Amino acid sequence: MNAEQKRAWLGLVTGMACVVGYVALVPFIGPMAATAAFGLYGLNGFAPFIGRKEHADERDRSIAHRATLGGAMASYMAFILGCMGTWFIAFAWLGKEQVSVHLMGIITYLGAIVFYTVRSAAVLVMYGRHVEADHA
Amino acid sequence: MPEIANCIRRLRFDHDEMTQEALAERVGVTRQTIIALEACKYTPSLSLAFRIARAFNKPVEDVFRYDIPVQGEGPTP
Repeated sequence: MNAEQKRAWLGLVTGMACVVGYVALVPFIGPMAATAAFGLYGLNGFAPFIGRKEHADERDRSIAHRATLGGAMASYMAFILGCMGTWFIAFAWLGKEQVSVHLMGIITYLGAIVFYTVRSAAVLVMYGRHVEADHA
Repeated sequence: MPEIANCIRRLRFDHDEMTQEALAERVGVTRQTIIALEACKYTPSLSLAFRIARAFNKPVEDVFRYDIPVQGEGPTP
């Protein structure tokens, strides 16, 4: 496992921890306060310290580039869907003409989590395709 | 699957059973990349293709083969 894969695992685990933490906290402190669980994603800040001296070649860079594009695309979609979905729920279901301003921050933060989580998953999938040949 | 095939594995064995690690070091990539190349799961850049060919003292077309797909058919074997 190289440094990029280790960083991807960290990103994936922290991303999952955010979701699990949020879901676990909602019944106790409510949906807004439970967003505090997103703070767990700060642990991903340790990623740059993993494998700093490890050499990355052209394939590593290619995988990182493609995974970043995938993450950005998923993040953009999540952000747009989050914005549209919020308005749809507010207007069509709840009959409200306004939404809380706090939702904007949450949607933005969700977009960031989706970006890193999808990027991490994509990195692992792309490296994983070659695992079976690792012992050749 | 890339249309560029190669005979890196055979050439390694022809060159005193050169290890993947040794070839990787010589051409400046990781062993994982050599593994992916041998399995034809990764198409190298032109620069890397030339470095690999040079490591075996062969012209690049002796190491890599591009199978031009015929319309309606897959790559030729």
